[in-house]
Amino acid sequence: MSVSIPEKSKISHFLVFFLISSMQIGIGVLGFQRIIAKTAGYDAWISVIIAGLFNHIIIWIMFKVLESTNGDLVSVHTFILGNKVGKIISSVFTIYFVLLATAVLRTYIEIIQVWMFPDLKTFWYAFAYLLATIYIIYGGFRTVTGIAFFCTVLPSYLILTFAYTVPFSNFESILPIFDHKLKDIFLATRDMSLTYLGFETLMMYYPYIKNPEKSKKWAHLAILSTTFLYTVLTIITFAYFSEGQLEKTVWATLSMWKIVQLPFVERFEYIGIANWNLIILPNICIAIWCSSRILKRTVNIKQKKGVILIALLCLVSLNFFETRDQINWLNDLTGKIGFYVNYFYIPFLLVTVLIVRKVKKK
Amino acid sequence: MKSWFFKSEVKNDMEKKEWEKFLVRSNDFKKIFYVNQKTKVRFCFSFMSTIIDENTLQTNILPYLLEKDFNELDDIKLIVPMSDVQISDDASQIEQKIFNGYILVTIETEKKRFAFIAAQKEIVRTVAPPEVEFSVIGPKESFVESIGQNLNLIRKRLPIKELIVEELTVGKLSKTRVGIMHVEGIADPENLNTIIQRIKDIEIDNIVDSSYIVQIISDNKHSPFPLLLDTERPDRVAAILAEGKIAIVVDGSPHILIAPTTLVEFFGSFEDYYLNYILSSFFRLIRLFAVAFSILITPIYVATLSYHYELIPKDLLSTLITSRREVPLPPILEALFLELTIELLREAGARLPTKVGQTIGIVGGIVIGTASVQAGLTSNVLLILVALSALASFTTPVYKMGNTIRVLRFPFLLFAELWGLLGVVFCFILLMTHLLRLTSLGRPFLEPLYPLRVHDFKDALIRLPFSKQNMRPQFLRTEQPVRFNKKKTKDKKQDIDE
Repeated sequence: MSVSIPEKSKISHFLVFFLISSMQIGIGVLGFQRIIAKTAGYDAWISVIIAGLFNHIIIWIMFKVLESTNGDLVSVHTFILGNKVGKIISSVFTIYFVLLATAVLRTYIEIIQVWMFPDLKTFWYAFAYLLATIYIIYGGFRTVTGIAFFCTVLPSYLILTFAYTVPFSNFESILPIFDHKLKDIFLATRDMSLTYLGFETLMMYYPYIKNPEKSKKWAHLAILSTTFLYTVLTIITFAYFSEGQLEKTVWATLSMWKIVQLPFVERFEYIGIANWNLIILPNICIAIWCSSRILKRTVNIKQKKGVILIALLCLVSLNFFETRDQINWLNDLTGKIGFYVNYFYIPFLLVTVLIVRKVKKK
Repeated sequence: MKSWFFKSEVKNDMEKKEWEKFLVRSNDFKKIFYVNQKTKVRFCFSFMSTIIDENTLQTNILPYLLEKDFNELDDIKLIVPMSDVQISDDASQIEQKIFNGYILVTIETEKKRFAFIAAQKEIVRTVAPPEVEFSVIGPKESFVESIGQNLNLIRKRLPIKELIVEELTVGKLSKTRVGIMHVEGIADPENLNTIIQRIKDIEIDNIVDSSYIVQIISDNKHSPFPLLLDTERPDRVAAILAEGKIAIVVDGSPHILIAPTTLVEFFGSFEDYYLNYILSSFFRLIRLFAVAFSILITPIYVATLSYHYELIPKDLLSTLITSRREVPLPPILEALFLELTIELLREAGARLPTKVGQTIGIVGGIVIGTASVQAGLTSNVLLILVALSALASFTTPVYKMGNTIRVLRFPFLLFAELWGLLGVVFCFILLMTHLLRLTSLGRPFLEPLYPLRVHDFKDALIRLPFSKQNMRPQFLRTEQPVRFNKKKTKDKKQDIDE
């Protein structure tokens, strides 16, 4: 049942930190504040923390599920459902990862079109970007991990830029705490899920980790640090914008950059958006890698061909989303599916694995 | 039995005739007969007069053979005061030996056996100060074009029996001698085997220089990045051998190859080790900044002025606009024009004799620069940026890497023109991926950045003091990871005034 991966293509356990955090931080960060504030108002920062706590539980569950078969999602499915049905169910996840990659790339291109280049051709930019992705994935999973590593480390200086907003912020605006219903806070927690999405890719690259037992600590640390980052960012945003202003700000994080002033740079958001190229790269690479990996594991298509196939699929589907509404719909859909996959399907898998194991033992 | 013996003798004889037929066609092939004065034995010398040392022949070989007791071939070993005398009956060796500068001695009484006496004429350039990797402080020796001399320079610095040189011959026509050096007990045998295997597998007729070998045995032959470090400094080679790496010495080349290597190594000058660690760390960081500056500054100029002039603050913008007011060209053409001018100057300077080259540098730098600004072809801001970035590209201590950096600017320029800052970042992604995928002897090229090895940071972007360098680099997987006992180097902790 377990998948054998040659030792030389495996990765060190601590790199899981970068794989998870780089996958979580993507396009959602740029505008999640408005969405969560819609339901929970300025209490939404609590939702950010709650969602983070849930993520810890989900990661714990994921490791439990994966340990049971010592393989990936496909081997879990075949363990539960047998070879044929398991593979059919697994191949559905190909579509899910394609969806993830498409949503991220399309939204990013939309941001470029809105903020920097109104005339940027979606097709050509996506084409180049996906070519780069193919080039990365052809280097093997170690290269993909390397990209995740550099794309977390290099743009991390951007965090500092948010300090510029502090003098213009009013931190009392998040008071009073808990003036929203618990239900609203939990609804906001659900809305937060798109921003947190991505760590389910662990289900695919788990066999590539050299020392899975040690990597748990790093996985939790990754979740912890993204939760921390998002909470800080949410609080800064709430302090910087008034509630009414935030309602009209689609990309709150980007708007905050407008306040950054350097002696040689006037509009910092341009640099921020260009840098975001790096941040979404691991999102797309890991998603497409996972997708093509499932293809290889289920239908036996060589990953070299699978990647091209998946990239083509992304490229074609990108062009169906032109207007803001359509892109919004795409994001909502991805968010919803991701929400159910992470918070319902994976715990469900754990339960089934435990039951199947008991039955098989008897 | 006898007939078989006879046949092989005939064959031997034939072979002997075969090579001679060829050799006599060359004017410098000499075949001279002599008679020993005491024993009256007739003997014969065959050699290529151009590659043997006539002096040795006249003073160290011939007088002894003519005057001492010389009866049979084995006597040569006794009477000739030369260390390299071989006696053989293998006719197939003859051709190679003659061309390696040996003298073939045959005597009348023994048809099947013959002797070789080494009398090579070594024309070796004197050991000069390094020119490519010059350093103000530190040894002033550099390698020359002879493998023997180069090995001598290295052995002097590592006088241990563990320093092993394995020799291979590469090239069907050139028969180039290639020595592979490593320190037994430190270097990873796997690395050594990979190198030996790759060199054995080389399929080429002619190896002129060690850079041929770099291009043939590199992990990725289509990368603009050099994947083996080459150096002309014996001190560097000795230090690197002690670190657990492997050196490849090629006859006829003053550059010695070092493998495996990493990207950061190309930005470390060997002078860094001769300076205090604070200074050398500072210089290394300066160099890294220079590389980033050199690659990125013109693309960023093109990107901002073509697409994002909003990025520039008001005061700076007015400076830029004043300087560009008269320029009719779009930023990309302006930048390409200047970059190409600089490249032309460089190329011209490199090809011309030194004295003329200097003149060209002045003419190009001052006259063309000023004139093109005055003519309104380029803005003076860009002129400053391009000149600075050219200057910055020269800070790279390894010449080959400097070349790579010059070339890297152009794809960045094209992407900057295409998509502005996005394009610059996109091109950076491509570059980063390419670097991530590169390996040197199967070891990741970006180490210690990725895979992250904190221990190896002590001698990468910065250099820590020698007392901290007690471990060999991890990525080399050395057999003996400890360099020296750290405890003995520790300073004693003393209180004030004790």
